Amino acid sequence: MGEQRLLEVENLSTSFTTEDGIVRAVSDVSFHVDRGEVLAVVGESGSGKSVMAMSLMRLLPKNAFVTGWASFEGRDLLSLSEAEMRKIRGRGMAMIFQDPMTALNPVFTVGNQIAEAVRVHQSVSKPLAMKRAVELLDLVGIPEPGQRVDSYPHEFSGGMRQRAVIAMAISNDPQLLIADEPTTALDVTIQAQVLEVIITVQRATGAAMLLITHDLGLVAGVADRVQVMYGGRVFESGDTRDVYYGGNNPYTRALMRSVPRLDERTSDRLSSVPGTPPSLIRLPRGCVFWPRCEFSEQVCRTTEPELIQCGTDHVSRCHFATTLPEFEYGARLGA
Amino acid sequence: MERGWGPEMSVLSQSRPSQNGTPILEVENLVTHFPIRAGVLRRRVGTVFAVDGVDLHVYPHETLGIVGESGCGKTTLGRSIIRLIEPTAGVVRFNGEDVIGAEPKRMRELRQEMQIVFQDPFASLNPRMPVRDIIGEPLLIQGRTRKEVRPQVAGLLEVVGLSPEHGNRYPHEFSGGQRQRIGIARALALKPSLIILDEPVSALDVSIQAQILNLLEDLQDELGLSYLFIAHDLSVVRHISDRVLVMYLGRVAEVADRNELYDRPAHPYTHALLSAVPIADPDLERKRQRIVLSGDLPSPAHPPSGCRFHTRCPIAQERCTETEPQLREVRSGHWVACHFALGAGETLLARVEELHREVTVLAFDPIDTDNDGEAGHPVHSG
Repeated sequence: MGEQRLLEVENLSTSFTTEDGIVRAVSDVSFHVDRGEVLAVVGESGSGKSVMAMSLMRLLPKNAFVTGWASFEGRDLLSLSEAEMRKIRGRGMAMIFQDPMTALNPVFTVGNQIAEAVRVHQSVSKPLAMKRAVELLDLVGIPEPGQRVDSYPHEFSGGMRQRAVIAMAISNDPQLLIADEPTTALDVTIQAQVLEVIITVQRATGAAMLLITHDLGLVAGVADRVQVMYGGRVFESGDTRDVYYGGNNPYTRALMRSVPRLDERTSDRLSSVPGTPPSLIRLPRGCVFWPRCEFSEQVCRTTEPELIQCGTDHVSRCHFATTLPEFEYGARLGA
Repeated sequence: MERGWGPEMSVLSQSRPSQNGTPILEVENLVTHFPIRAGVLRRRVGTVFAVDGVDLHVYPHETLGIVGESGCGKTTLGRSIIRLIEPTAGVVRFNGEDVIGAEPKRMRELRQEMQIVFQDPFASLNPRMPVRDIIGEPLLIQGRTRKEVRPQVAGLLEVVGLSPEHGNRYPHEFSGGQRQRIGIARALALKPSLIILDEPVSALDVSIQAQILNLLEDLQDELGLSYLFIAHDLSVVRHISDRVLVMYLGRVAEVADRNELYDRPAHPYTHALLSAVPIADPDLERKRQRIVLSGDLPSPAHPPSGCRFHTRCPIAQERCTETEPQLREVRSGHWVACHFALGAGETLLARVEELHREVTVLAFDPIDTDNDGEAGHPVHSG
């Protein structure tokens, strides 16, 4: 087991002190990522999925307070010095952000930035790093990489910029790619292109991937395992099929049923989740989902459920995880 | 979030003429171009062909969905129809009446009938106004007194699933979904018969998105509204629309009844677009072969010659580079602008192979049930 584990996180909690009070963005999250696997973290805004990733990369502002334990290739991420952390960022784990414009510096050429990323971790000459930049741009499917290496980010389209960001992320052969909504800002046909690049690159380098997204379709195709988050907590986690078809958690079910599907021939009402996600400053007592949950009972209002085992490597945070009525995924689709 | 339709509804559901059969909205050859200016003298150096000859009609009580990627002109189209942007040429008729040529006074009256809801509920509500005034403003502008307006605003808030007390609050006190409800209430205030919905749910989380889609459907049934639903999310558009129109670079690529378009797309662009959308079903998703179009979307300032899609089309022929295809009816009510439209049931991949062309296909490994499988393996074929 030890060999396989790349990242192991236990009881990670992140809160922010703000004028309005303490924002509990991530609460007691534990999970792991094995070498070469794709773990998707799914959730709506405010579910804590991005803050969780930023906590691991140690890229949070000063008002953040992080507790817990996170081990990456055996090193404790949360207690490393900033200098040691810099060695891991980019080389051990690298990030692909949603908006490529914020990840690229507008005043340097794309090639310069990739070469710079290479030279931070590898002692190679500038010309050699530039050569490597051209190779990387070629790998992510940028046409005429020899010329485009001298372009500035604004001269690239959105899809091309995201490809450049991916090139930069893989420039030091990281073991773990953290992709935070990597295709969300792109047009549908460009999304497919970028997804193809990410998966090709991930396969070619053998890197593991932590894919953070709200897109249940994207996850269905690429994830080995899925972790559903709500109100800063893990609500369900397991193999992709188990989570999609198992339906052991009321929130996961509600999420799956509220999304219209492309292959849906009927236009029956969507089953919407009533209410809005909880405020992370004033979380409800008991289960944080109870005010919106169709199955909630008295116990849910007083006692927060633990993660309950409901299959091999499959857990769900619900008092009734193992006794919920049968869930027929796709029952609404009149197929 | 479902609420009973109380007596407040009477403020809205006054008798409405039913005109089944004749379109409520007709758009013919609508053109909206924007000049590109440069230099000290702001000389015109180019043109953005945002909307470049669009025909469509919307029937009473119908939802026409408009889909397309950025730069296809869908937003400009919606705004040009109600003249928030003055179109360059073309005809817009509302209940048979010319909209483009309407005098300002008449236009104000027509705008009571045609309303718009915008994408960003954060940007489209005035932060300094209480919600009561935001919703009541259109009524006041139309000459009603504050006293008359107050109960109507309370009724409107209830109709969209908020409570009358919410009227005293300011926009920042509301969540994204609630703000969109406020935007919808404002649009409903003047009892329109047509609402243009410009990406009304794309800024919202999925659980909230479903609430708003359900609300829109309820309102349509209750009030007999017609919708022009503009969006980039093909799944949402299929769900809400009766008919769907696909745009590419300012032109109509294809239009058909919802299931006809999604089940039997005839335009290679529509086919590729549908193919690019992932489906939230692991077993199904890993059986699909998704076509990945190469290249970027061309700029609407420099649309390609001939068929605008030919630069990215995997089945384009010489004719496509020269002659722009016109919309033709391939099956009943199914119109497509393509010289080499796909037949019913014919897939784009089959046509690509027939032509011995190459195309990138995104396909994933099926999930190994022994749980040691690796996922996500794109293969290239063709």
